[in-house]
Amino acid sequence: MSEQLKTEIDKEIAANTILVYGKGTKSAPRCGFTLETIQFFDHFGYPFEVVDVLENMPKREVLAEMTNWPTLPKVFINGKFYGDTDILGPMAQSGELQTVLAEAFGGAPAPKTTINLR
Amino acid sequence: MIDNESLTALIQREIPDAQVQIVDRTGTMDHFNVTVRSRAFAGRTLIEQHQLVYGSLRGALKDGRVHAVELTTLVSES
Repeated sequence: MSEQLKTEIDKEIAANTILVYGKGTKSAPRCGFTLETIQFFDHFGYPFEVVDVLENMPKREVLAEMTNWPTLPKVFINGKFYGDTDILGPMAQSGELQTVLAEAFGGAPAPKTTINLR
Repeated sequence: MIDNESLTALIQREIPDAQVQIVDRTGTMDHFNVTVRSRAFAGRTLIEQHQLVYGSLRGALKDGRVHAVELTTLVSES
């Protein structure tokens, strides 16, 4: 396992309370499941970051080994691995995810800013 | 691509009592909706249950026979 890549991943996870490793970017997702995950977190209103690893096979390999999880996207909340929306969906339904997020961010999300275009 | 029988066999190699339901989501035999029911999931968290199944599919995901999996795991009572 590449130590350099592992250090890079550790830093990214530490710097973002919600971090998604996916295919494509937040504004241009290149995979249906990555898009689904972005929409999932948009709905919660907390800030989150997406790191595109589509073309970075060595990094994907290190991520898979670190998490024992071969597929993308991969979601980390507060440094902990939470799999993908197959895990997060049921957690949201039971209310468990809301508790995890509130604790991670130290309270409820700020209300979404409404932009008036007129 | 991979057929349902081979995919089921891969999962059952890791989880012998697994009852496996497979839906080919795209008609291309590489994007699947997979439901696995097993006694092996008892006492494990959801993420550990999924890791168990993904462990069995590691090779097929790596060499591209399987592209994407939407996974549901259920604990078998009996």
